[in-house]
Amino acid sequence: MEKNFVIAGFGGQGVLLAGEVLANAFMIDNKNVTWYPSYGAEMRGGTVNCEVVMSDDEVSSVNKRETDFIIVLNQASFDKFENKVKKGGYLIVNTSLAEKKQNRADIHYVFAPISEMAEKLGNVKMANMLALGLLLKASGLLSVDILEKALDMVLPPHRKNLLPLNKNAMEIGYKYDLFALNC
Amino acid sequence: MVECLTGKKVLMKGNYAIANAAVIAGCDCYFGYPITPQSEIGEFMSGKMQELGRAYVSAESELAAINMCIGACSTGKKAMTSSSSCAISLMQEGLSYATSDELPIVLISVMRGGPGLGNIFPSQGDYNQATIGGGDGDYKLIVLSPSNVQEAIDLTYKTFYLAHKYRNPAMLLADGLLGQMMEPVEFGKYPYAEIDNSSWALSGAKGRNPRIIRSYSPTEGPQCEHIRHLFDKYKQLEENEVMYEELYTDDADLLVLSFGSLSRNVKAAIKQLRDQGMKIGFFRPITLFPFPNKRLNELSRKVKKFLTIEVNMGQMVRDVRLAVNGNVPVEFYGKPVGSWPSVEDLQTAIERAMI
Amino acid sequence: METQVFKVPDSFKKDFKYTFCPGCDHGVAIRLVAEVMDELGIRENTIAATSIGCSVTIYDFLNIDAIEAPHGRALAVATGVKRATPDKFVFTYQGDGDFASIGLAESLHSALRGECLSSICINNTTYGMTGGQLGPTTLLGQVTTTSPTGRNVEYYGYPIKIAEHVALCDGTAFSARVSLDTIANIRKAKQAIKKAFEVQLNGLGFGFVEILSTCPTNWRMSPEKAHERVRNEMMPIFVPGIYKDITSKGNN
Repeated sequence: MEKNFVIAGFGGQGVLLAGEVLANAFMIDNKNVTWYPSYGAEMRGGTVNCEVVMSDDEVSSVNKRETDFIIVLNQASFDKFENKVKKGGYLIVNTSLAEKKQNRADIHYVFAPISEMAEKLGNVKMANMLALGLLLKASGLLSVDILEKALDMVLPPHRKNLLPLNKNAMEIGYKYDLFALNC
Repeated sequence: MVECLTGKKVLMKGNYAIANAAVIAGCDCYFGYPITPQSEIGEFMSGKMQELGRAYVSAESELAAINMCIGACSTGKKAMTSSSSCAISLMQEGLSYATSDELPIVLISVMRGGPGLGNIFPSQGDYNQATIGGGDGDYKLIVLSPSNVQEAIDLTYKTFYLAHKYRNPAMLLADGLLGQMMEPVEFGKYPYAEIDNSSWALSGAKGRNPRIIRSYSPTEGPQCEHIRHLFDKYKQLEENEVMYEELYTDDADLLVLSFGSLSRNVKAAIKQLRDQGMKIGFFRPITLFPFPNKRLNELSRKVKKFLTIEVNMGQMVRDVRLAVNGNVPVEFYGKPVGSWPSVEDLQTAIERAMI
Repeated sequence: METQVFKVPDSFKKDFKYTFCPGCDHGVAIRLVAEVMDELGIRENTIAATSIGCSVTIYDFLNIDAIEAPHGRALAVATGVKRATPDKFVFTYQGDGDFASIGLAESLHSALRGECLSSICINNTTYGMTGGQLGPTTLLGQVTTTSPTGRNVEYYGYPIKIAEHVALCDGTAFSARVSLDTIANIRKAKQAIKKAFEVQLNGLGFGFVEILSTCPTNWRMSPEKAHERVRNEMMPIFVPGIYKDITSKGNN
């Protein structure tokens, strides 16, 4: 089995870090995994994204034509990635910064006001971890425990104080009713 | 950090993995100039080498960096630099000298798009630059090509070992994709024996005759002899150090070849086509020099056709054609630069070659 | 009473034989280097980075370890040697084309980094080994094989004053320009070389000496006339002196 994930947003939303946490989680779960960032001119302004590919065998490739799960944290990312979701795949949309719109009938849309929910928790910067919680639930591939362990590995020592807040954000995301806003 | 890295699994970017491996391999001196997409190597080394009390210089240019390597290697120390494409071009003179001087420079090349400034996206356009080179005269670099981050570590160790064993500059040829991606890796200890270089290293002419490391030879005879000596080493390399990965060659009608991280996409495409019953084999040279000529020639007598896939306009395919020496047709599929062709595109290309 | 003995310095190879043209100052300059190495007792701990041009042949005469650098890269190579083995004495011996044209970046950056290296640059206002072409120090009006009507500003720009440039670098501990046209000046030159070596040995930074030299063959002059040219044409432009010496406050 090979599954791939894209997390996209604008600079400062912690997109690359979220991908790194996810990749570490798969590593802890003894899967093969590759994390690959968009890099270059795109890094200055515009959207940032990274791709995570997990596999039971050697990861075959990155930059895949289609993606199983995509998180879009802003409108630009929605516009860029809606068409890249694999048929039957999931598009997780931050409705705080992107329109609640369904242009395709062959994919699952998960709408959640991710930034507002994070703000309510005390820090809008936790939107990325909240989104990972949503992703976890949608994919059913990992437990929250493992994700939390992964976060612990990724956070540098001077940021460890943020661990409880971020774990909380993951859990809130995980508990969210995925299709609450779909109708 | 060198100690605490060994023996546990960590998720790491290719560039950092290569840099860490170099430190574990005992690299004494790093000299470099920044260029995307390999700058993390120099960034990491700037801190780590100072922390360990080893040598680090932010060189004023790639010209200076490669020549600093020449100086450091002349004392028998392990020295390296890292760079990319258009900046490796600037090092060609130094590499030619170092080859004639028989100095074990380790060079990490993380390919981006060319020619000229090109762009910073991945590419395999520097196969020729690595294996043929742009320096003057008859010389070869040892060139190793990893396909994933773990292999980048293992081959970094090997690059140091082969450079010192054969007293020849050796290059790890990676690409922007491999440099930028993170994968779980483990660092073992440096697995090779240290090479004794006390017979040639410069240390001051104390109690012995002076040693001169030079490429200049004013007379014909000694120069011919010297170049023959270099090529004896290259022959030994071909006999003893060839590495490749080979799959499904027993029953293959078509053999598909690629190198570096692209070969993973190719392998995935072949696996899916084999599931559909197509008899396709896979071959990946790991040492680009020495090139696996012998094995490819053997295989060219068993399969009906070769297809070489590269992200360039056809560079390795020339070596493949030389290796099979007309025994089978050798086709090429590629694109000039940028993201690797998708597994789906590769399937289509391979299926087309089956006809 | 002290006895002065004229002998070949120990730092020379036993069977060495100069291959320079008659009247060329390289021979004097290399002898001064050898004498200073003897006096400082550093021969056995020395590694030289040589250059391209007539200066490269220094490794044929001196009894020391040496690595031949590509054209202009002597100080990059020397940096590598010194950083790899900081306990060694490392020096370069270069021509003006090598040091100040093709290698200007390597030269000045070594000085700027304050590398503990010593560097001797032979300034003879031309590319000697290649056959007398215009170089970075060719004087205005000077006829060379690539300035057939003399160096003019319109086509060639100005010659570089090397010792002054090196002195401007904060990592430089010592920078001087000397000449070899008289016995007195040869003595001064030796003192400058010694100082440039000592600043390295004392870990103070970059030591540099520019030596105004003759190239009788390419200048098409007798050795005597060549030294007159050094005195009358070069020294007014390339003024001898100590341009930086961090060990002596009065001289700066």
